[in-house]
Amino acid sequence: MVFPSLQFAFFFPVVLALSWLLMPHPRLWKPFVLAASYLFYAAASPGYALLLGAVTLGNQAGAVLVARVPAARRTHVMAGVVALDLVVLGVFKYYGFFAGEIGRSLDAIGLGMPLPLLELALPIGLSFITFQAISYVVDVKRGVIQPASTLDFGLYLSFFPHVVAGPIVRAREFIPQLATPRDPRNVAVGAGVVLIALGLIKKVAIADYLARNVVDDVFAVPQAFAAPDVALAAYAYAAQIYCDFSGYTDIAIGVALLMGFVFPQNFDSPYRATSFGDFWRRWHMTLSRFLRDFLYIPLGGNRGGRLRTARNLMITMVLGGLWHGAAWGFVLWGALHGTCLVIEHQLRGRVNAPAWLRWAIVFHVVVLGWILFRAESLSLAGELIGRLVVPGEATLWAPAAVAAVVVVIGMQLLPPAPLERLRLRVAQLPAPALGAALAAVVAVVGATVPSGEVPPFIYFQF
Amino acid sequence: MPEPADPVPTPPAGRRLPARDAVVVIVLAVLLLVLFEGPSIRDAGDDMQPGVERDVTRAIGQPAGWLADRLPFDEASDDALAVIEDDEGAGAGGFASGGRAGGVPPVPPESFDPAQLGLQPEAPRPLRTLLVTGDSLSMPLDAELARRLAGAGVEVERDAHVGTGISKTGLADWGELATEQTADLAPDAVVLFIGANEGFPLPGPDGAEVDCCGPAWAAEYAYRARRMIDTYRRAGRARVYWLTVPAPRDRDRQEISRAVNAAIGVAAEPYRAQARVLDMNALFTPDGRYRDAMTIDGERRLVREPDGIHLNGTGAELAADAVLTSLRADFAIR
Repeated sequence: MVFPSLQFAFFFPVVLALSWLLMPHPRLWKPFVLAASYLFYAAASPGYALLLGAVTLGNQAGAVLVARVPAARRTHVMAGVVALDLVVLGVFKYYGFFAGEIGRSLDAIGLGMPLPLLELALPIGLSFITFQAISYVVDVKRGVIQPASTLDFGLYLSFFPHVVAGPIVRAREFIPQLATPRDPRNVAVGAGVVLIALGLIKKVAIADYLARNVVDDVFAVPQAFAAPDVALAAYAYAAQIYCDFSGYTDIAIGVALLMGFVFPQNFDSPYRATSFGDFWRRWHMTLSRFLRDFLYIPLGGNRGGRLRTARNLMITMVLGGLWHGAAWGFVLWGALHGTCLVIEHQLRGRVNAPAWLRWAIVFHVVVLGWILFRAESLSLAGELIGRLVVPGEATLWAPAAVAAVVVVIGMQLLPPAPLERLRLRVAQLPAPALGAALAAVVAVVGATVPSGEVPPFIYFQF
Repeated sequence: MPEPADPVPTPPAGRRLPARDAVVVIVLAVLLLVLFEGPSIRDAGDDMQPGVERDVTRAIGQPAGWLADRLPFDEASDDALAVIEDDEGAGAGGFASGGRAGGVPPVPPESFDPAQLGLQPEAPRPLRTLLVTGDSLSMPLDAELARRLAGAGVEVERDAHVGTGISKTGLADWGELATEQTADLAPDAVVLFIGANEGFPLPGPDGAEVDCCGPAWAAEYAYRARRMIDTYRRAGRARVYWLTVPAPRDRDRQEISRAVNAAIGVAAEPYRAQARVLDMNALFTPDGRYRDAMTIDGERRLVREPDGIHLNGTGAELAADAVLTSLRADFAIR
């Protein structure tokens, strides 16, 4: 089930009303929200819900074991549980890619293809679920949290606002919210509704519009377009992926707020970043901190000199790229960002460029990186980049498309205070006005969808 | 460096309301949408694949549509949103508008491919505009063909309508779409790859609904497909290349694809001079047996997407080979 769908429009009011009705009775409320979350997740395929259940029970058993065994053995038990999580993720997400690559390499030297080629469907959100499960087991091992009850842990992993595409909420952020009773007199209704409306506008009216009218055509057949259109498509994809993913996050955070839960922020105007470190503190913030806490710092972080820091940054970013999908484009995208972070680290304190120049460099390298990220193959990415210098006609520069790109990127460069004031003012509206405004937004953005069906969010595939 | 703490996030600033108001806001928004968009909900339910979701959506959509039909809100909302609405779907020649001729229809000369009669085939003509269309099956075939024909002087128009089907008309009426595409583009050739969203009941000759996938359903489907071919072939000025549906992994869907493929074959019969049916089953699923991977140039390669329905990039390359071979037989392509 996806947020901008009829199914969710029927599902959410019922779940929201029953959730608040049952909230004073945790023994009823928790199983109810768990069941609703599994229903939400199983709407894509019931088999996925079985896998989610298995991952939940396996990690819960692992966490309990980690807490019970003597301190000296905890690391081994934790490593075993994390390895199992990665095996599950690997089988579903990377098997086809690596079986193909290994098979091709062995075939090239006459050893045949030993691994059967299978195209397994990647269960939606498995990468997010796996990372959250890992964070729970590791935090239990580190003594940051105690093992939760199986019900609480199950609810944490499956909670429907974030199960499909994050944000990656840490157990120590979410599970305490289950222990504290929600206050039914103190709900951030206005903020939640504003976020839901904003997310719908970003996803349906902007991201999908840019995809339909600029991005998809150019990325599919770059040979048919010259520099002006390819450049527009690159900027448009930067705007599209931001609106698509941050739109999903806005809706997830808004839905959670209406349910009485607070999720961490996931985006903070990433295109205003003036360094690559700054970009990763603003883009997919919950993934960045996961990679920092569970990969970069355990690898040694910035301790151990420049070379070690560079190695740790590269490993973190390449694996971060690979997390997005089993394709060389993602690996290269991660490597590009890793390289930029390493260079930035090496130059720190030695070069003093003006802020506007730093912004321009960071923004354009990020846009270039999105070409690697979006292109279906490395050869197409190369074709796209090559066509950035082929002169020709601008055929896709419709005013609406250009305006959408300028607004999405330009808004991030504006000072946040006036926008925040506007958000607060809208959030102050009384409930009937908020309901009417939300209905109007849904109707208007719905009218911009030509086929009547909203394409899936980009991050669903990860 | 110690790991930074992640305290429970703080809620955003702003006014707080009781939980009751949260429910009021959402329920009110949904009620308003039901009043203003009831017919859309009804149509969306009719277009869903059979199952619980469809039953629930129809259970809500039918009364919502009934209510909205009797109130002026839907019309008002349509008028207000007309400025930003995409006007796809307008046009003539829809499936709902077509009549039927009685008696035995005459056999037109187009029923025969000249090659069948041992005649010299027509000299290949230049291909200027190629339309690649269909549902999601037509992607990424459309992009693959566009890439292969880039620089060949052929304008490749890609017009995929995801989620649509010939046996359902809510999202798009392919009778109307074919008319519009032909009028807008006047293509010399049309490549059609559709069939991922079929199996919906079709109105039979007496108006009663016919369920998939028996002869009666296949006959109705073939009738619609035949009308589309007739539109696309532009009275003989254009060629149509209709790709059959390679057997999907799911057995229930296999039953549908068998009926669809049989219908396509029958539909094309009166127009053999201009319509080619390209058998994707022979290529991807010989004997109707599904496979994820196949041997290409001595190497095992995946050809299907994980959903077991669509072709992946490699599969699309193979399908494009078949299409281009057929196109080159009819057209002079650089």
